[in-house]
Amino acid sequence: MTTQLLAAIPLAIVASTPLLLAVLGELVVERAGMINLGIEGMMLTAAMTAVITAQLTHSVMLGFLGGIAGAAIVGALFGLFALRFAADQIVTGTAIVLLAQGLTGFVYNGLQQNDIFNQPIPRLGIDVIVPLAWIIIPIALAFLLWRTQFGLRLRACGELPAAVTANGSSVAQHRWIALAIESVLAGLAGAYLALALSSGFAENMVAGRGFIALSIVIFGRWKFKGALLGTAVFGIAAAAQYALQASGRGVPFHLLLAVPYVVTLLILCGIAGRVRAPESLGKT
Amino acid sequence: MRLSHITKSFGANKAVDDVTLDFKPGEIVGLVGENGAGKTTLMSIAAGELTPDEGTIEDRESIGIVHQHFLLVNEFTIAENLALSMWGRDPAEVIRDSGIDLRGFHRRVADLSVGEKSKLELIKAIAGRPRFLILDEPTSVLAPAEARELFGVMRRLAADGVTVVFISHKIPEVLEVATRIVVMRRGRIIVDGGAMSAEQLAEAMVEKRTREERSRRAGGDKAGEPPALRIPPLEVHPGEIVSIIGVAGNGQSELAANLRDTLRGHVAHIPEDRARDGLIAEMTIAENIALAEPRWNPRSAARRAAELIERFDIRAQSPLQRAGSLSGGNQQKVILARELERQPEIIVAAEPTRGLDIEATRFIHDELRAAAARGAAILLITSDLDEAFTLGDAIYVIYRGVLSARLTPGDAAKRAPVLMAGIGA
Amino acid sequence: MNVRRIAVAVLAAAVAIALLAMSGIAFGHSPRELLSILISGSVGSNFALQGTLLKSIPLLLTGLSVAIAFRAGVWNIGGEGQFLAGALGAFLAARYGMIAAIAASLLAGAIWASIASAMRLWRNAPEVLTTILLNFIAIHLLGYAVNGPLQETSGKYPQSDAVPIAAMLPTLGASELHSGIILAIVAAIAAWFLLYRTAEGLRLRASGFNRNAAKWAGINVDAQLVRAMAISGAMAGLAGGIELLGVTHRLFERFAAGYGYAGIAVALLAQLHPLGTIASAFFFGALTTGAGELQRTAGISSTVATFGQAIVILVMIVFTRSVRSAGVSPAGVAASRRHGRAEER
Repeated sequence: MTTQLLAAIPLAIVASTPLLLAVLGELVVERAGMINLGIEGMMLTAAMTAVITAQLTHSVMLGFLGGIAGAAIVGALFGLFALRFAADQIVTGTAIVLLAQGLTGFVYNGLQQNDIFNQPIPRLGIDVIVPLAWIIIPIALAFLLWRTQFGLRLRACGELPAAVTANGSSVAQHRWIALAIESVLAGLAGAYLALALSSGFAENMVAGRGFIALSIVIFGRWKFKGALLGTAVFGIAAAAQYALQASGRGVPFHLLLAVPYVVTLLILCGIAGRVRAPESLGKT
Repeated sequence: MRLSHITKSFGANKAVDDVTLDFKPGEIVGLVGENGAGKTTLMSIAAGELTPDEGTIEDRESIGIVHQHFLLVNEFTIAENLALSMWGRDPAEVIRDSGIDLRGFHRRVADLSVGEKSKLELIKAIAGRPRFLILDEPTSVLAPAEARELFGVMRRLAADGVTVVFISHKIPEVLEVATRIVVMRRGRIIVDGGAMSAEQLAEAMVEKRTREERSRRAGGDKAGEPPALRIPPLEVHPGEIVSIIGVAGNGQSELAANLRDTLRGHVAHIPEDRARDGLIAEMTIAENIALAEPRWNPRSAARRAAELIERFDIRAQSPLQRAGSLSGGNQQKVILARELERQPEIIVAAEPTRGLDIEATRFIHDELRAAAARGAAILLITSDLDEAFTLGDAIYVIYRGVLSARLTPGDAAKRAPVLMAGIGA
Repeated sequence: MNVRRIAVAVLAAAVAIALLAMSGIAFGHSPRELLSILISGSVGSNFALQGTLLKSIPLLLTGLSVAIAFRAGVWNIGGEGQFLAGALGAFLAARYGMIAAIAASLLAGAIWASIASAMRLWRNAPEVLTTILLNFIAIHLLGYAVNGPLQETSGKYPQSDAVPIAAMLPTLGASELHSGIILAIVAAIAAWFLLYRTAEGLRLRASGFNRNAAKWAGINVDAQLVRAMAISGAMAGLAGGIELLGVTHRLFERFAAGYGYAGIAVALLAQLHPLGTIASAFFFGALTTGAGELQRTAGISSTVATFGQAIVILVMIVFTRSVRSAGVSPAGVAASRRHGRAEER
């Protein structure tokens, strides 16, 4: 079984790329002091808009852009409620997920009735997303957050917003930008999931990756190294799913499907209060 | 700069009462007075953080202010905190320029001592080269050597023509560094002048009557019975009131929370932060009072609440009024009513009369004395020296989380200023 | 219940319906047409009304589950999983009769929820995430069960055998409406009684409003958390059990069908008041049934019902800023300060 597990590792890395993108995006947002449960909905919407855009334009790249646009709309909605209306972030996030589920089901279903949308979906050529997600974006974001004035202020928004306003900057502005960054990443995640890893859109295709991403952010102690490590650990552990299946040990398929979530629970239990979240996380 | 006929009230409490002050460049003004004298309020107004009810500020200057409570991001390093307000400037240079000794600017603020945090705040305030600098109780958390360093900085700034206002209640230090002393008591300026002796200053700060009262109290001798509360060196016997005094921020909150989590039995707690921790603002008075009761019946609870409202003279329209809509004094009475009704053996009261007017304060004190007379052991944690001495049969001083030995009121009256500053134990 | 609260709820419901009706424009249907289909399909006939009531029952219980949890300050988003656990429990105990099955559903739901509260207490794992993850695990456990050990004897479909007739909930009169409705309404009244007429309920609400102040008042907030989660889970579990014993009579994949998450909308529309959830559940039951009719006649995916739930939640949380204060917004507190009175409940 070990060989099967080892063979599954590269597969696991690729397969957890959407998850990683979500983790990176959520990390930025939480560093700015917000909790966005709605990222699940952002990815789901992005998956749908990516597929539709790709079908309409016959271009994968435009499909990715479409995915980003879809995620951005949902992200803006979250921002509207969480920032402008100062509504409770957890309930807002949950509502956003429901909204996205309802909306994508309804829209996608309706569009299927039109023949344009029954075409094959263009596939991704060279996979630039994986190196982008695992190397370039983390480095760029880490630089942004830890080596620029903007990043410093953004992190201060998550720790002590009063310190930011005392210097004349706007906390809300920083948080909106964080949401924008998350939208791009969630859009890429959803698009990649639909266009590269699957062959199109399906209801519930995100399957909880958004919530798993939130768990990994906590596990990684809100740092980029932790995010990469956490996702890798998760991906490999979840790959055990495939390895077990391939090994023919007769573990029931459905129980294997539960493995990623059990792994995530274990990850959450591994933090045991030693973890220190950004001081002002989730406070309106 | 000139403050002209400034008056400011918070509700019924007149914090600043028709104050006029002229400031000259290059002077170091020691603004002195006991807790609640109005010093911080006056300077907040000068800094533009509060607007006065009456009065004007003339010839405003650029102001730097170091607050008692730090506005530092704990998770950031010193350098990052500096960068937050002045990006691009070399932290080493900024620190050097200020003349203040603060090393290792890659350290996190959370790891700094309180004295170092205080220095960081000072560096931040000075970096903008203000012409008017306000320091609010800066030495309350500094060791003597650090305080001396601070005085050096103050003198240097004054020599440069900056007006430095140094708020403090510590007489020896004020005498050491101030070129001009302004004494406030109950919102008014009592004394405004140059050289003064320590005795004159102490006399001015505290009313004669109070001082005499304090040294007269020998303290009750209830030490016959075994203590109801014993956490060495702390001992509280049934029927006595023990006061813990100290400058705010020296571990009082932690002590109170600790006691809440560890003491077992019939213990009543009156939390320091009345608004946040004392009452459930969204629930009614009746509900709040009934929280510790084993049974809940809205009708009988309302009746009981009405009785208590009557007995404690709480200004409320009905027992069904939302607790959050009561005034501070009345909220405190509700908390007291709730806690005292349970006939507790031990009462831990933290800052029970903070922000309350004279009437409410007297009421609370009477209730506490009555509870003690009934045999309760009362621990009073307070920064109000008057209160501590009025009620306390014995006094402890807390500094940096450590308690002094048990003192009689007479003893404490003499040694308190020294102990509160952490000099000698 | 004061006028303002009812007005906000009605507004939220109206906005949701309006948006739903307008959504069809994109696909060539007029809002009026969709609105009439929604209404006729939900309450327009005895048959429709029956369907609505049948859907309202589990919604009432999952709504109560969320209301109790949120009132206690606990983020239980795991209604979906607790629903499934309850159904599984009821199925396994069905051979011992109806009462045993119902009791098992309560117990199973409570246990499933308690996994999350245990993790919160011992490992500081945020229950908002653990309850959601447990939802996914429950779904796959169910999938395993109906494809494996619990699969029907004929082995054709991924579903279980039917429960023994002795365990099924009896219907009321000639309709298909089962007696679970009585259980559900009793549960709502019991929940109201618990929250507003017992000391335990007082403490639960206090912990929900202000955990710190509750601690200072001597309440064991950790114990409150565990109890609240258990009761909340039991409610959702009961919903699953009743759905099994009264409607479907057998387990199958996709059994939960979103009832758990819908409970959040039900609870928020009712502003976390147990008696209000009765009306709220009826509204969402009607919405779901009407959406089903929309799918049949106008071809609009019935997932619009989920969309409707989300709209209601979003509207409600704008007007009632702090969910944990159970509908008391900063504006509300200011308003009550002016009036100086709290509402009687």
